[in-house]
Amino acid sequence: MIATPPPVDKRPALQRFLSNLRGAPRALRDTALRGGKPNTDRTRSTFVFGNVFLHLHPVRTHRWSLRWATTLGLGIASLASFLLTLITGVLLMFYYKPHVEVAYDSIKDIAFVVPTGNLIRNIHRWAANVMVVTVILHMARAFYTAAYRAPREFNWLIGMGLLVVTLGLSFTGYLLPWDQLAYWAITIGANIAQSPREITDALGVTESFDPGGLQKLLLLGSDQVGEEALIRFYLLHVMILPLVLLGLLSVHFWRIRKDGGLVRPKDADARLGPVRAADYPVFTEAPRKTYQLAAVVRGTSGAVGRAPENTVPSMPHLFYAELAVTMLTIAVCVALAMWSDAPLKELANPQVPENPAKAPWYFLGLQELVAYSAFMGGVGIPAIVLLGLGLIPYLDRETEGTGEWFGGRAGKRIVLQALFVGFGAALVIEYFAIRYGWLREWFPNIAQLWITFVNPGTVLTLIYAAYSMWLVKRHDSTRAGALGLFTCFLCGFVFLTVIGTHFRGPNWDFYWSPADWPGH
Amino acid sequence: MNQADPQGPSRLDPDPMPRRDFLGLASLWAAGSTLLFAAVGSLRLPKAAVLSSPSRKFKATLPENLAEGTAFVPPGRSVALFRDKQGVYAISTLCTHLGCIVKPSATGFDCPCHGSKFGPDGKVIRGPAPAALPWHKVSVDGGVCVVDEETIVPPGTKV
Amino acid sequence: MQANKHLLLWSSLVALGLLVSAAVQENVYKDWRVLQASAAEAPGSPGPIGIHLRQVVVPTLHAADRCVTCHVGMAAGEPVVAGDPVLRPHPVVGHDPTVMGCTACHGGQGRATEKDAAHGDVHFWPQPMIPRRYADAGCGGCHTHLAVPTLTSLDAGQAALERNDCLACHKLDGRGGTLRPLGAGGMEGPDLSFVGARGFPADWYEKHLAARERAADPASPWTSSFGKIETEERGSIEELLSSRVGAPQLVRAKATFNSLGCRGCHKVAGVGGDDGPDLTLIGARDPGRIDFSRVKGRHDLATWLAEHFRNPAGIVPGSAMPILGLDEEQIDLLVRYMLSLRRTDAPEAWWPKDRVRAERLGEREFGEDGATLYGSFCAACHGPAGEGMRYPGMPAFPAIGNPDFLAVASDEFLTTNIAHGRPGRRMAAWGATENGLRPGEIAAIVAHLRTQSGVTREPDERPARWARTDAAAGGALYSAHCAQCHGDKGQGGEGPALANGALLGAASDTFLYETIRRGRRGTTMTGFSQPSTVRPALDEAEIESIVAFLRTWEKQP
Repeated sequence: MIATPPPVDKRPALQRFLSNLRGAPRALRDTALRGGKPNTDRTRSTFVFGNVFLHLHPVRTHRWSLRWATTLGLGIASLASFLLTLITGVLLMFYYKPHVEVAYDSIKDIAFVVPTGNLIRNIHRWAANVMVVTVILHMARAFYTAAYRAPREFNWLIGMGLLVVTLGLSFTGYLLPWDQLAYWAITIGANIAQSPREITDALGVTESFDPGGLQKLLLLGSDQVGEEALIRFYLLHVMILPLVLLGLLSVHFWRIRKDGGLVRPKDADARLGPVRAADYPVFTEAPRKTYQLAAVVRGTSGAVGRAPENTVPSMPHLFYAELAVTMLTIAVCVALAMWSDAPLKELANPQVPENPAKAPWYFLGLQELVAYSAFMGGVGIPAIVLLGLGLIPYLDRETEGTGEWFGGRAGKRIVLQALFVGFGAALVIEYFAIRYGWLREWFPNIAQLWITFVNPGTVLTLIYAAYSMWLVKRHDSTRAGALGLFTCFLCGFVFLTVIGTHFRGPNWDFYWSPADWPGH
Repeated sequence: MNQADPQGPSRLDPDPMPRRDFLGLASLWAAGSTLLFAAVGSLRLPKAAVLSSPSRKFKATLPENLAEGTAFVPPGRSVALFRDKQGVYAISTLCTHLGCIVKPSATGFDCPCHGSKFGPDGKVIRGPAPAALPWHKVSVDGGVCVVDEETIVPPGTKV
Repeated sequence: MQANKHLLLWSSLVALGLLVSAAVQENVYKDWRVLQASAAEAPGSPGPIGIHLRQVVVPTLHAADRCVTCHVGMAAGEPVVAGDPVLRPHPVVGHDPTVMGCTACHGGQGRATEKDAAHGDVHFWPQPMIPRRYADAGCGGCHTHLAVPTLTSLDAGQAALERNDCLACHKLDGRGGTLRPLGAGGMEGPDLSFVGARGFPADWYEKHLAARERAADPASPWTSSFGKIETEERGSIEELLSSRVGAPQLVRAKATFNSLGCRGCHKVAGVGGDDGPDLTLIGARDPGRIDFSRVKGRHDLATWLAEHFRNPAGIVPGSAMPILGLDEEQIDLLVRYMLSLRRTDAPEAWWPKDRVRAERLGEREFGEDGATLYGSFCAACHGPAGEGMRYPGMPAFPAIGNPDFLAVASDEFLTTNIAHGRPGRRMAAWGATENGLRPGEIAAIVAHLRTQSGVTREPDERPARWARTDAAAGGALYSAHCAQCHGDKGQGGEGPALANGALLGAASDTFLYETIRRGRRGTTMTGFSQPSTVRPALDEAEIESIVAFLRTWEKQP
């Protein structure tokens, strides 16, 4: 990369001027893409670290990371769907007006007269849903390959933050169309935020200590969903949460590199086998150069003292993979957008509640729990789950099976068993609660605190916790317990979400199908 | 630059990749054209298909006793309507300079922003205005005039 | 890497294909594009029209009505294709659609640009278009408060117009106007369809007479068709004409509503009874929130209303509304009026005078003459002419137009009954509530009962309470002769409840006495001074003792 100064041009100035003018387009390209065509290892490296958008990537990528089965592309798919929502969202902002008088009309205009407006809105909606799904799946992938273990514990926490922000973005976007769906979903959401009052009321301290009321007030800016709430949700949706997400995302990516790239098993090189011709070129020899930076790099993560073996240049190998997943995500979102329109119900009417008023689908599992206790379903259990997820990397200090799906064959058996336990427990408890009712039906005068702490949600959580404790003891491994607990929670989430989405009708009664709802 | 490298080819510069990578090139071109098509398509979005302002074709009823040479500006519109013996005509009241609203005066129209003055038929008399005030299409149906602000007619067209 | 390249290639191609098809769909195959392009080929077309979205923006109403994207001929300054079902111009109406927009009158979803969505025949749009045959119901969005004459006056006016051959020269509601007053090629007689809104000269008759004098040609319609009109007929004609505001069917529908006593149970705009649902916004009901499970035919509000009028409890299980026995024409008119009960969200400055007078100055939106008031409030229960009513499952409603009743009931008795009602019975206290009747209106109803029957009260010099005989004997007689219909404790049954403080307080002894003595002809209450096949006649003392017995109920708390 040491450039020799070009020979001094002795031609007359005017000729030099004309020759420079002719060469300007070429010079422009050369200066924009420093390092020339990326067709050698060196220029490929320059291509990566000479570009502000690419330099978060390593110059070389381990072949293990490029296996489809390693990541299933879920992280890139999450990022791609986020970028899709970002671009379509900015486009929608050209026409959306965050005011209760005109918000609904402006969405109607987007749907009917804005060029490409309906498609852009549909893509925005679907990309947001795809993002929620891929973020959850990405988290499951990271968990099942034990990618949270040292040194990646903190990035696991950042990832949890990203999950919460993703759900927040989706939820705040829900209100903006200002239709019945939005209005009542947000009314319910805001009252879940207020649900700590269930505890403070029962303790009789709400007068002096009211965190629930404060949360609702901060969220809505008023005591009910109205103009103040709309402008707050708009601000959160288009400014605060995207900025937080971008901030967390930068840390997330940066830490992937600092933590030594994607997780891989110790015997990854052996398992990858010999290099295929298509993976050319691959470093196999030992380095002859001295890595002077090695002195300041801590740990064994840097490729110091051994060859950067089994790595391929990120350009083009990694970028083909990333671009492919991005385009696949775009194709899926566009296909979904053309298949189904984003919902838009009647104009919000505070006098006529929706029945049933359902939250966005990913909160319907919580709404199912909320139907038993607002505090436990809306605040308590989610807090317990988040706390548990956050503690996992600090409780599981084992190293066996890192980087491998389910940590090997024993892990697969545990997960399979946990699937049965998770679904089974949720099924039994839901069946019991729907068929026979719960405490309030049997003891009409029971104190609220009893129901707050003993309800299907808490019982299910306890069963899952007890099961995972049993696994820890049985397999003498924290990881076994974690596998069981995570799988159970995932099962519970899926099961309750399906119940809330499909099997709950007006008055949150159980129906086998929405076709059975009365009055339809 | 590569040719200028004095150290010559090294272990870091193995043979260049084979260049005849049809699949790679095709996939890159496909991705590129998809993104380009999407970008061009979404660039159409900011150009509104309908404006949120009232229609530029509108109906107006002239006052019965409108004197010849006196302008009637329908409320909220930027068109001056006149009636004389030859008929009804409409002259835009948007200054051709920078779009201020000109005021009908005794000598024609005066622009308050940069001092342009227009004659009674809209011709520029003085000031920076580059062109005469356009005449708009008017059709009379009974006592009602339909003014079409989208259509410009030659000055002197009266109906 | 090959696999990734394949994934990239095929994903990109799929995405590109989808985007291209979306672009083609939006820019070529949109319904309105196809329709506007087809305008050039329509018979009578003025040629191709510019293919772009059109709309009527009415900032005051927050309306952006894109209906004119397809109904191009209805926008200002756009080419029209006369006779084309979609591209034809708007018929002449009181309000210019290019100023008022479309949805203010027709309902529907103005912002939409696809047929079903725009017409409102979709989920989640609460205001579908008013069916075309009920189109003038849309006037109700602003003009619900229009005061209309009674059905009788409308019929009288129409008959007078026909009899005097006014329609020879004048057009009215789309009929007549075939002759030219000054012969062929002369001026048409003015169209009278809107004179109620635009006004007509008070001396029209004198002007007609003068014109007839001037008419030279003895064969002209002035002499052949125009003749002397009696003063009374002129009054009927003027009353009809002042109701001609371009919505003859709606005026007739409201007059019908005013004749069926619906307000006895239902409130409209804050006036009426409390027994049934408030009808003020019934025409704006969201079809998405109506239970159509028992409705045959189209699932729209008009069909629901019509089916409901045919059999209320069959559509709304448990409905207390009886089957009113309406004929199909009445049902159609009622549906029309119900659909007109809606509110366009217009600023007060745009309100019509009727609405300002009704909502701000407290004027009534119905005529304040006794006939209209009786028709609006009383007719459903007491019968159009006061003959009483019987509905299955309900006690019979008294015949308050009965001559025997009016002969013994004083005006004060009638007024008190209307004003204070019968607590515990269906008769509401019309004088006591916000939504009821004003003193002048009650007096008008009493006067109407008198003029309708032509019966004045017989003079009665006796005090209000004069019955002195033995109440115990009266009790025995009551059990024998009255209890069967009026209940053994006077709680009512087939006949009215007599143990009712309001009744006994208002009724004089003479009223009770005479009612028992003569009965009410035409009802099940027979005159007890005459013997019947099942019982002997009661003498005066016996009747008086029954009155005294009835009085014992008055003293009970």
